[in-house]
Amino acid sequence: MKMNRALSLPRLSVCFAVLIVSVAVGICAGAVWVSPAELLSDALTDGLSQNERVIIYIRLPRISASILAGAALAVSGAIIQAVLGNPLAAPNIIGVNAGAGFFTVLCISLFPAAVSLLPAAAFFGALTAVLLVFGIARKTGASRMTIILTGVGVSSLMNAAADTVTTLFPDSLIGMAAFKAGGVSGVTFDSLFPACIFIAVGIAAALLLSHDLDILSLGDNTARSLGMNVGAVRFALLAAAAMLSGAAVSFAGLVGFVGLVVPHIARKIARSSENTAVLPVCAIIGGAFLTLCDTLARTLFSPYELPLGIVVSYIGVPFFIWLLIKKKGGRRSA
Amino acid sequence: MLELKNVSGGYGKRTIVSGVSAELAGGEITSIIGANGCGKSTLLMMCAGLLSVSSGAVLLGGEDISALPRNALAKRISYLGQIKNAGSISVRSLVSHGRFPYLGYPRRYSPEDQDKISEAMQLAGVEDISDRMVSELSGGQQQRAYIAMMLAQDTDVVLLDEPLTYLDIIHQLGLMELAVKLKSMGKAIIMVMHDLNLALTYSDRIAVMKDGRLIGFDTPENIAAGETLQSALGVKAAYCADAGQYFFSMNTD
Repeated sequence: MKMNRALSLPRLSVCFAVLIVSVAVGICAGAVWVSPAELLSDALTDGLSQNERVIIYIRLPRISASILAGAALAVSGAIIQAVLGNPLAAPNIIGVNAGAGFFTVLCISLFPAAVSLLPAAAFFGALTAVLLVFGIARKTGASRMTIILTGVGVSSLMNAAADTVTTLFPDSLIGMAAFKAGGVSGVTFDSLFPACIFIAVGIAAALLLSHDLDILSLGDNTARSLGMNVGAVRFALLAAAAMLSGAAVSFAGLVGFVGLVVPHIARKIARSSENTAVLPVCAIIGGAFLTLCDTLARTLFSPYELPLGIVVSYIGVPFFIWLLIKKKGGRRSA
Repeated sequence: MLELKNVSGGYGKRTIVSGVSAELAGGEITSIIGANGCGKSTLLMMCAGLLSVSSGAVLLGGEDISALPRNALAKRISYLGQIKNAGSISVRSLVSHGRFPYLGYPRRYSPEDQDKISEAMQLAGVEDISDRMVSELSGGQQQRAYIAMMLAQDTDVVLLDEPLTYLDIIHQLGLMELAVKLKSMGKAIIMVMHDLNLALTYSDRIAVMKDGRLIGFDTPENIAAGETLQSALGVKAAYCADAGQYFFSMNTD
């Protein structure tokens, strides 16, 4: 049993430790620094202190949102990279996030009151985009380059469609700038709840299918000769990826890059490209990464707040470039 | 064991293989030979059920393989293509993937699976590199790792598309000896071969293809003596008993 596990317990524990530390920092840091000692003494006294209110009503929802969005986008990115056999693919690059964004804006414009519909709308938008990219790439031979180019095209189309909606329904412009930059400020536990269910289902499906994803990564013919129904499994995986990206975009906006960079980091940590190991690491590290970025976003220039998407890019891009330069060989894998 | 009945087909509207009939028995090695682009690999993919036939049928023990569920087929026919793209996964993991047709949900390996995996690694000679990453191996080692995966799949019919690619001579011979070992277990080994010498030396039957048709299907001795080699590849074969192997000359007449 154990012999086929690529991911060792110590490595998994380190990932969890990183997540716990980032959550702890996220709780304590902010416009007001609350030290763990203060926190403990407040917790032991009756009634809610000012600090406790800040933490319960502002910081904890934000932290939950960044963990959920980070985990969802990272797992979604890992799935998309593996299914398309392309390390450059990611939800934000191949138009999946843009598709989710378009449907989200459309939903806000047409049904302003139906906030709980947003994750479902975003899911269908993401699914539309991913199937469009996959369908077109198939017709044109599905080389790595065509997939990326198709994705860039679909991404532009979806963004154009979203801009059209905001032009026709100027009311939806409010919040659009924030949506595009991405961020988790202003989320509440209530607004998070529907997306949370989508993400839980998406991650569970991804983990259940991770072994099959490994088989799929061997190539269509090998997977089929091993008895896999390639079409059905691929669709299920892309649907899971769309569900995850869609749900994340529905409340966190267009936070790019997490889906591209975290899977690469996860493969380094897992020391393999086996998805049975990479997907759990993605979920944990993705959550930790976005939580740290959000903590930085709200503390660096406090009381002003940077948009989360911007912080992610400032940290993610140099790290990613460093990874690319450092890495030699292993073309497809890392 | 595997019977081709007037099989034709190709990609889209392009017909590549036409009217091939042959019976491939268990306990025999069959090599498919022919010039580049004559339809060898296409025919092999049809035998594997990876490409559907446009007319005719591929029968496995009398059953049409297109009617068999993919999972059931994978327990009886294994296929190794030319394109391999395993990334950073260990050899052990790759070989384990050969057990995929036998796994239920959740994807856990039984003790029997583990035995088959160890056995396959031993047969293919990859035990000592079982913890290495496939992407870091030499072409020959990769090839053997994939062969081990097929062996773990434990099927009666083994289809190999140019299995000797990337292998140096000692490993080429090693692979042919492995094929002989598998055939003695009663399996039907069918491979697309470019090396005529090894094909004629180790095979029980040679299938000669030209322009999508099967123009010869006979024992190596008869193929070497007949006309089909000249017709398909433009060479003549002569057996040298002292050397125990064939020599080829260009057909200049």
